[in-house]
Amino acid sequence: MAGLELQHVEKTFGRTRVLHDVSFEVGDGEFIVLLGPSGCGKSTLLRIIAGLEPQTHGSVSFGGQCVDDVPPPDRDIAMVFQHYALYPHLTVRENLAFGLKMRREPKPMIEARIAETAALLEIHDLLDRKPKELSGGQQQRVAMGRAIVRKPKLFLFDEPLSNLDARLRASMRVELKKLHQRLGTTMVYVTHDQSEAMTLGHAIVVMNRGRIQQIGRPEQIYHEPANPFVAGFIGNPPMNLFEGSFRLDQRQLEFLVGDLTFRFPFQAHELIGADTGMATLGVRPEDVKFEPQGSGHVAITGTIDLIENLGNDSIVHIMVKGQSLMARTSFGLRQHAGEPITTYVKNFHLFINENRIPLPSL
Amino acid sequence: MMHRPVLLGGILLAVLGSLCPFLWFILTSFKSQIQVEAIPPTWWPDGSLVFYASALFEHQLLHYVRNSVTVAGGTTVIALVVATPAAYALARLRLPGKTWILGGLLCVAMFPPIVIAGPVWQILERLGGLNTHWGLVLPYVSLTLPLAVWILTTFFHELPVELEEAARIDGCTTWQALYKIMLPLAAPGLFTAAILTFICAWNEFFFALLILTDPERQTLPVGIALFQGEFIMPWGEIAAASVIATLPLIILVLLFQRGIINGLSAGAVKG
Repeated sequence: MAGLELQHVEKTFGRTRVLHDVSFEVGDGEFIVLLGPSGCGKSTLLRIIAGLEPQTHGSVSFGGQCVDDVPPPDRDIAMVFQHYALYPHLTVRENLAFGLKMRREPKPMIEARIAETAALLEIHDLLDRKPKELSGGQQQRVAMGRAIVRKPKLFLFDEPLSNLDARLRASMRVELKKLHQRLGTTMVYVTHDQSEAMTLGHAIVVMNRGRIQQIGRPEQIYHEPANPFVAGFIGNPPMNLFEGSFRLDQRQLEFLVGDLTFRFPFQAHELIGADTGMATLGVRPEDVKFEPQGSGHVAITGTIDLIENLGNDSIVHIMVKGQSLMARTSFGLRQHAGEPITTYVKNFHLFINENRIPLPSL
Repeated sequence: MMHRPVLLGGILLAVLGSLCPFLWFILTSFKSQIQVEAIPPTWWPDGSLVFYASALFEHQLLHYVRNSVTVAGGTTVIALVVATPAAYALARLRLPGKTWILGGLLCVAMFPPIVIAGPVWQILERLGGLNTHWGLVLPYVSLTLPLAVWILTTFFHELPVELEEAARIDGCTTWQALYKIMLPLAAPGLFTAAILTFICAWNEFFFALLILTDPERQTLPVGIALFQGEFIMPWGEIAAASVIATLPLIILVLLFQRGIINGLSAGAVKG
């Protein structure tokens, strides 16, 4: 049984359509991440799931039951907001109790739940403080507590870590993952941060301009991006993408971008179905190596433009016949900027008409 | 830094200039009849309370105070009860022509009272509202509503929508979200709107004079204006009555000042 199901959800504001035919399923107890750049409609989708915003078309179901006509208070969900949205005039204890009180739960039960949640999130010292007396990280915990304390069927997170500094964000990410393992409740998490999406999600829904670009497991999204958008969005630094044309003959596939030509020693007629056309070729910076990769690789020679040292890693910017290629390596390079260098690439991604063409291995 | 003395002097001049009439009234209220009529005028009063006694007992000032409290209090309560949901809707809902509604309210607030005096009088006569307190509260509410709605709309607008959505998800209906979460946070706005409405109704003279001809029901400004006899102008009593009429407003402002300044919404949203 699906924990959450969306069928052909569409949303228009006035004449602007912000969501186009969105459908997906989340299994009971799964952690799904909606990932995309700002303005891609992911937050609107979350608000539709919460019932805060009505969809223009389509339907939303929880546990097999359609909830389109169920107002937010009756959906049995909890939401953690980007800006926490703690009630400023209430203490932490009252903030936690608010939802339970609204549902007329008995007092001893409310007390017990607050104690349980406070212990889980280690916020017992903060219970009698007002939100403005808390640090950002503490407010974040309380916001999380307010969601947990109700034991809802579904958790919704709207970029909950985006207001924290980098270190706190990393530790909260781990805690969130542990929390999900402990509670086992279905969670829907909205973010524009791919590392959050990669570490947290069972599955990731990549969105852009109101459309789903790809749904898949994190490793699937990384290794087999469905289109150039996903390929460029996932990965840090982003994938090298070359827009050019391809040419097929009996022995090989050629990809041309400006003066640069990539030659692949296989014939791909059956895969592509045309002899020539426009295409996008992608190479992940971490797939650009500085040593030969056995027998099968494409060698690319260029000049080092710049080396960014990141401590354990370096990002090497290489100019190849007027095209810029980024490489990521954890080994020290002997060459310096301005010197020639040869790189070896084994894994390529080819996209024709926005679709991924699975290439045979080299 | 060189401008500092000039600035201070300017401020002092402005404050003294605007307080001067009030100071003169306060001084006059503590004078005796001889001092009031003395030429050249004397500055320092001899501290006599004769005029206060006369205003309170001979002119039955407290009776006017009671009427004013009823009218201004009633106006404030009704105006806020109506303005709050109106402002909330204007701040939150996607209403067609919202800016036109707000602009229209502003226009209505700008009509000179004399323009609507005739129609108001006729309507009240039909409704039997002449010489009643509710007959005065009715036009007062309609006169003060635009201001109250504008103030409250601004306040609701500044409160984060997320708080309201959090309340909805926590189980509140729209109304519950309004009075359990939004109203406590909009308290400074409510205080401001309440005080301005109250002051407006408390000081209003024109409609009060028009609608209330029965001395039993008249409010303070009308009462004080009618102190004047056929041959005498009782300056001392008028001054004493004016001081008494102003006191409640000063007390109100001082009391609620803390409520207004209290930034309740601080910490609602980070950054």
